[in-house]
Amino acid sequence: MTTAPAHSMISPRGKGLRFLFRDPATTLSVIIIWIFLALFVLVPLVQILAASFTVGGRLSFAEIGKILGNRYEIRAAWDSVLLGTLVGLFGTALGFLFAFTAVRANLSRRWSRLLDTAMILPLISPPFTMAITVIFSFGPSGLITHDLFGLKHFNVYGLGSTLFAETITYFPIAYLTLKAILAGIDPNVEDMAFSLGSSRAEVFRRVTVPLSAPGLANAFLLLFAASLADFATPLILAGNTFPVLPTEAFLQITGMQDLKSGAALSFILLIPSFLVFILQRYWVGRKHYVTITGKSGSQTKFKSVSRLVKWILLAICVMMSLFILYFYVLLVYASLVEAFGANEQFTLSHYVVIFTEGLKAITDTLLISGVSMVLGGLYGVVLGYLITTRRFATRKTMEFISMINYSLPGTIVGIAFLIAFNNPPLALTGTAIIIILCNVSRYGAYGTRSTVAILHQIDPSIEEASSSLGASSSLTFRRITIPLILPALFSSLGIVFIRSMTAISATIFLISVDWTLITVRILENMTELQLGVSAAFSVFVVVVVYVVTLGISLFLRLFRQPGSSEISSFLGA
Amino acid sequence: MKTVRGIVVAMLFLVTSLGGLWASGTTEQPATGAAQAVSEGNTLNAYSIWPENWARPMFQEFEKATGIHVNFVRFSSGEALSRVIAEKSNPKVDVLFGGPVETFGAGLKEGVFESYKPPAYSVLDAKYKDPDGYWIAIADDPLCFMSNKKFLQENRLSLPVSWQDLLNPAYKGMIQMADARTSGTAVTRIFSILTIFDRDETKAFDYMKKLRTNVQVYTKSGGGGTIPVGLGQAGAGIFFVVDALNTLQKGYDVAISFPKEGIGQSAEAIALITGAKHPGLAKKLIDWATTADMQNLYAKYEINFVPAYPGVETQKTLADALKGAKIFQIDPVWSGDNRARIVETWVKEVLQ
Repeated sequence: MTTAPAHSMISPRGKGLRFLFRDPATTLSVIIIWIFLALFVLVPLVQILAASFTVGGRLSFAEIGKILGNRYEIRAAWDSVLLGTLVGLFGTALGFLFAFTAVRANLSRRWSRLLDTAMILPLISPPFTMAITVIFSFGPSGLITHDLFGLKHFNVYGLGSTLFAETITYFPIAYLTLKAILAGIDPNVEDMAFSLGSSRAEVFRRVTVPLSAPGLANAFLLLFAASLADFATPLILAGNTFPVLPTEAFLQITGMQDLKSGAALSFILLIPSFLVFILQRYWVGRKHYVTITGKSGSQTKFKSVSRLVKWILLAICVMMSLFILYFYVLLVYASLVEAFGANEQFTLSHYVVIFTEGLKAITDTLLISGVSMVLGGLYGVVLGYLITTRRFATRKTMEFISMINYSLPGTIVGIAFLIAFNNPPLALTGTAIIIILCNVSRYGAYGTRSTVAILHQIDPSIEEASSSLGASSSLTFRRITIPLILPALFSSLGIVFIRSMTAISATIFLISVDWTLITVRILENMTELQLGVSAAFSVFVVVVVYVVTLGISLFLRLFRQPGSSEISSFLGA
Repeated sequence: MKTVRGIVVAMLFLVTSLGGLWASGTTEQPATGAAQAVSEGNTLNAYSIWPENWARPMFQEFEKATGIHVNFVRFSSGEALSRVIAEKSNPKVDVLFGGPVETFGAGLKEGVFESYKPPAYSVLDAKYKDPDGYWIAIADDPLCFMSNKKFLQENRLSLPVSWQDLLNPAYKGMIQMADARTSGTAVTRIFSILTIFDRDETKAFDYMKKLRTNVQVYTKSGGGGTIPVGLGQAGAGIFFVVDALNTLQKGYDVAISFPKEGIGQSAEAIALITGAKHPGLAKKLIDWATTADMQNLYAKYEINFVPAYPGVETQKTLADALKGAKIFQIDPVWSGDNRARIVETWVKEVLQ
């Protein structure tokens, strides 16, 4: 069992011109994706690099030099890496704990539903809401620190609360990635280890964890990148003693109108993103983890955890889930009172506002997110499928480039899009399409990552078996490959939709007088001291995304094919 | 090979839907282009720095008065200005509406504004207009101190009435104010302090460094600290009176005070964008906004700005709050010339 060319039998070909004619479909897809990447990743990137590395049309390193000479910015760089690493570690650990409990602890339907509900909430909430509720809970007169524990002068600003809010916000990404991976591990592999006399701890350490390695690596990468790119949470929570690069870049650009040093700061951000990307590739590339072999017998009950461990795991997860739910109860409460903390009389007026004055933002956001979901989901999965299973020149370059817009802080992508597409021939600013393209080019990466992770698990022999049994290649693709990557497609659709509904950092630069977004309105209302309206918008986003993701789950269950892996949806519901 | 037929279908779908969207995006433009050739139509586009709940009623009243519809979106001053600069070669809006004067001063240097002197220009005080007509004021807005009453009580503090009061160790880590990199409020505050110290930068920055130990956080927006102060998460802050009164009106238990040494104010301005697609309509909006026509409406909509147009009465709550307060104007030429340098110094000396 190796990971190398998964489709060695179906596509035994090298690089070169001949292959162009032997596999026109792949060629066409590759060409289309390259055009997309060139236009919407490379062109804006070149524009922004030109801004940071040229002065008066000539190459200059003055901007980068200025940053490297500034102690505060150097600290911001370290802080960003530190924060990203910690969020990656804690988030992956927490995600693994939840995923392991959900998949391996033989939970009843009701328990897994509770976990899934709590899990999806942070993912679908708009960026500022978590930070704001954290402030309400942990500040000098916070509901938890002051009212509950009687602490005075509790400083809420800094690494601790930023790490907390980002971990809670992003660990569901790790959960989704890892749940798919864990569910994909054939329980019989563990059973074999048990029958060979291994203890549960040994099986966990020597079978389950190594088999989840690609998922863990992917989860860490996704969380690290998400944290590196997040400017909203540190903007509110990091205070002034814990500077991070994306926020510094944002402040340079919007506050000081200094596009050059903002671009240069973001360029520095690229370095850690790139390093982690290479590391992950190297690590994952070395492991063997094919488990969906098609040779397994019927699935047995999981034996991986004892009853005691099961209840301990469940207790931890339930406590965490309740803790997360608490933040959202707070949010709903704020949306239903006149003025949170001052006049706590029940009112529905904030909801009236969002469905009258805010209606345009709502319809715009739904339309943009819906289109982004379909395009971004497909794009991500097709890209992931191509780079994992097809051998073609520029494959690795394509994978790297497709991650750029995702890894870069949204602020920079937004500004880059604004500069690149303000003039003919691609005058897109002010249209909905520029927002959609931005979403697709950024969040399609989620789909790519989860497709890669799932495909790495599939033994090529399944497809080989299908072919040698006489199935045509299209039948094999339809009946074997599609069902196997379907979970990736649906998680991809879901995540692109969620991210499009909740995005702000890039799209705040791309909204216009004709197209606006709910998230921008939320930020807006916060600065206008309309907390209630902000909260009502946030609740609306949470509800819509929840309903849509549930719909996707149901849809997927209806179309589930025999032979597909056990995950019936990305929510697991 | 047929194995990848699925991919082709998917890709075709992707391309056609993108193409479709593209077409729908591009067809709009020739249409407006054609309309422009005939006349400017009756809709103009604007970026508003004023919050939407104030800008919207103003634009609705403007539409009632003139039949011209204003299509607008709200940004903070820094964001609005970066957009206007980024869009310079192909402007998307005709007017930049509201926002502190120094934002307009910064934009002026980037060449994004076009000179236009509306009828009110000759009537207005010199402090309310750019000498060359690149911006003109529609309102004035003083700074103030705002404190949480419960916090004052618990710490046995009286209402702060001097800049020195804020240095009291009882405020340690409990004062919020805005970050000078993003907020016009902060810039006005820093220039106020400089003015108090007779523009002696050493003394002024010395004071700000001392104040720093009492600061909990520098917020991104000028009003960012008002709700924390309202909730008691912070004890006090320095804000524009428009935001402070708004907090008070929401029902938060706060009190407004002014330092006896005096405090600065900043005018709110409007400007015509260079290369505006609807310059005729934009000028009509500027004409309307710079006179009593619009500024009489501040009281009606509880917008706590001081009208810039002579003779327009200040709304009663605001007038009451300002009674006895020592408020000075910050020299716009001096602040415009020194803004970038002072903010940089602040970032280096105080923030970091």
